[in-house]
Order: sequence, then structure tokens, then C-alpha cells
Amino acid sequence: MQLEVVVRSLTVSGTATLLAASWSVPLAYFLVKSRSSRVLIPLLEGLVGVPTVLIGLLLYMLLSSKGPLGPLRLLYTPQAIAVGQSILITPLITSVSYRVLTHSWGRYGELALSLGADEVEAMRLVLSESLPGLLGAVIMGFSRALGELGIALMVGGNIKGYTRVMTTAIALEVSKGEFELATWLGIFLVGIIALISLSLRFLGVKDDRTP
Amino acid sequence: MIELRDVWYRYPGGPWAISGVNLRFEGRHVLVGPNGSGKTTLLKVSSLIYRPTRGKVLVNGVDFWGLDGRRRRELRRQVVYVHERPILIRGTVLDNLAYPLIMRGYSREEALKIGREALSTINAEHLAEKRRKELSTGEAQLISVLRALILRPKVLMLDEPTAHLDFDRREVLLNLLKGVEVLIVATHDPLLVEELGGSLIRMSGGRAEYEGAHDLSKGFWRRGNS
Repeated sequence: MQLEVVVRSLTVSGTATLLAASWSVPLAYFLVKSRSSRVLIPLLEGLVGVPTVLIGLLLYMLLSSKGPLGPLRLLYTPQAIAVGQSILITPLITSVSYRVLTHSWGRYGELALSLGADEVEAMRLVLSESLPGLLGAVIMGFSRALGELGIALMVGGNIKGYTRVMTTAIALEVSKGEFELATWLGIFLVGIIALISLSLRFLGVKDDRTP
Repeated sequence: MIELRDVWYRYPGGPWAISGVNLRFEGRHVLVGPNGSGKTTLLKVSSLIYRPTRGKVLVNGVDFWGLDGRRRRELRRQVVYVHERPILIRGTVLDNLAYPLIMRGYSREEALKIGREALSTINAEHLAEKRRKELSTGEAQLISVLRALILRPKVLMLDEPTAHLDFDRREVLLNLLKGVEVLIVATHDPLLVEELGGSLIRMSGGRAEYEGAHDLSKGFWRRGNS
């Protein structure tokens, strides 16, 4: 039964991470190339620590039957959790990717241009050279999504066999006084995050830059 | 030929890094001046990497930044700039040498062959399969210059090219530069100024203050170069 919760957690948070990465990395690149970053990046950095219950509440109001997105019937579904988590981790992935890409553009973007590249070729080189850093940003986002509770509880509803994920399961077990199971779930949660990070390292997605 | 007409450049939120520069690059030029005087910025604007905040950069008489993307790329390929701190991309030395050639439409095999030949001209075949973290800074710098030269650029701009080179590699570099048509070098190295010859441009506070044939007897080095 707990395995099903683990698989759901990974699927929901994985989907949220893919969604968030699909717009956060291009947004970060756009900000590197535009002057609007001077306003937007401090704002995004401030939003990194936004309470998950606040996003949960806003999403609940949007998705509830009387809310503007009520007709979509997304409330208390895994999809609602994925959307909420993707919103939650967007500032984190964007601001970390922005730092990575700013550094990379200063080196590899300029290098590509200096060797006769156009903007697209320069972007290709910058993204390829930034891959380890960008993956780091995405993993950070995934960890944050996997470990959040507020959104999963408020728009997921912790429905057994449908929207129960690891964090809501831990919260439930604690409320029942089942500390041992909650602790094991917690250890498993941290283990998964560490395993993914280490796997990427061993797969060779690492930086070989000159020190 | 590159010409700067009343060129100004400012980094976002910063002061003017270069201000009101008018220069014409033909033949050999050596750029001198203290740290922070605007040499690197001037080179990056002249090599079409930075778009000037004000003013025009003309390449063969054409306003570069007024052109469309395709035409810009064509002109940009005639001008190559080599950074002060060598920047190599992921992969081996050969991959690095092949990268700009592949970008210019060469097949990978052709590009690698040209890369190998280029390495043999400086007796550095042993570096072919090394990765960037396995190179010394001097080796990386020489590879950066070689990568620029195999493109046979019409204009080559070098920023502190001898900063990390020992005596032997410095000789190799000077030999490599012999055939370059238009060469602009920023340097703090008085010997290099003497060896390269050409006209001397002195940068100070973002302005190109002096232009003329270089004459060591006038003691340019003592006038504010560090």
C-alpha cells in the first residue's frame, strides 16, 4: 500500500517538475538576455520561500466549485497537486537557473559569438555547457515539490488510493500516533532525493571545467 | 576593416566603460592602458560581441548592428576574439578545435582532421585527446589562439595573449600570429608591444587617448601602464 503512495508521489512531483522546468529554464534564459531581470529576479528570489499553504489556499479558491476554474473539476485530483507544486517550484528553478545561465552566458555565450556563432548557436552552447547546473536546479525543484505538504493536503485532500502522497501519508500517520511508519516514510523520502542526485552524478552529468 | 564611430558602452547599472571612442583598425594595433581603462570592453565591442550603447561599429564600411541576423553572422565570422582567460568547451582539445569549424558547415571528420593538422604545426599532437581540466592554463591559452587561427579570420583580437605563457609557448604564439592580416592585441606586456609593432592605442578612463606608430623611446610604458 505504501509503495503505491511512493509511486504516486514520484509521479505527481515528477510531472510538476517537468512542467515547471519547461517554462522556468526558458524564462531564466530570457531574463539573462533581457534587462527586466533586475526587477524580476529579486521578486522571484523572494517567492522561493513562499508558504506552500498559501499557494494551496489560492489554488483551492481557484479550483473550488464556485471558483473561476471550478468547471475543470480538478480539485482533489493528483493533477491539481502537480499544478500547485509546479507553481511552487517555478521561482526556485528560475532563480537558480538564472544564476547558472548568467555565469554560462558570460563565458560560453561570449565564446560562441567570438567564434562567429549567431544567437541560436550561442544559446545551444550555453545550454549544453550549463547542463550540470540546470539539472541541479531541476533536482532542487523536484526535492522541494516532493517534500511539500500544504498544497498536497489542500488541493489533493489526502484521498486514500487517489491523492495520498508521501508527505500527506506521513502527516496522517503522525496524527494517528504511528511514528515508526511516519519515520520510515520520511527516511525513504530523503533517500529517494539523494539517490536521484547521486545517479545523475554517476551518469556523467557533471562539470569538468578547469578549476 | 573595423571602424568605431563615437562608440560608448556601459554595462547594466554601471558607469561608462568606454566613452566616445573613434578608431579604425587596419593592420596591427596594440592596445595598452592600466587595469579598468576599458581595453577588454573595447575589444569586445570591436569584435562584435557587445552591442555599443551608443555609436556605430562599421565592418568594411557597413553598420554591423543595423544588419539582419543572417548578414551579421556572415560578418561576425570574419572577426575572431580570444579571451584573456582561456575558455574551452566540454570535450577534448580536438573537439574544441573542431567546434567552430562544424559551426561553419564542415563535417566532423573534416573538422577533426584540420584540428589534428593545426596541433601538429605547434608540435602539440599529444594534447589532442586531453580534456580541459587536464590542461595547464598556458596550454589552454595556446589552444584558444589555435582555435581562433584555424578559422583564418580577417581580423583577430587577442586579450592579454601572453598572460599565462612560458617563454617557449610565447615564441610559438608569436610565430602563429605572423600571417594575420588585421591584428589587435590588448596587453600589459612591454616586450610584446615591441615584438608586435604596429600602431599603439592608449586607453585611459574609457577613452582611446593616443593613436600613432609605436615608439618605445617615448617611454609609453611609464605613462600609466600597470
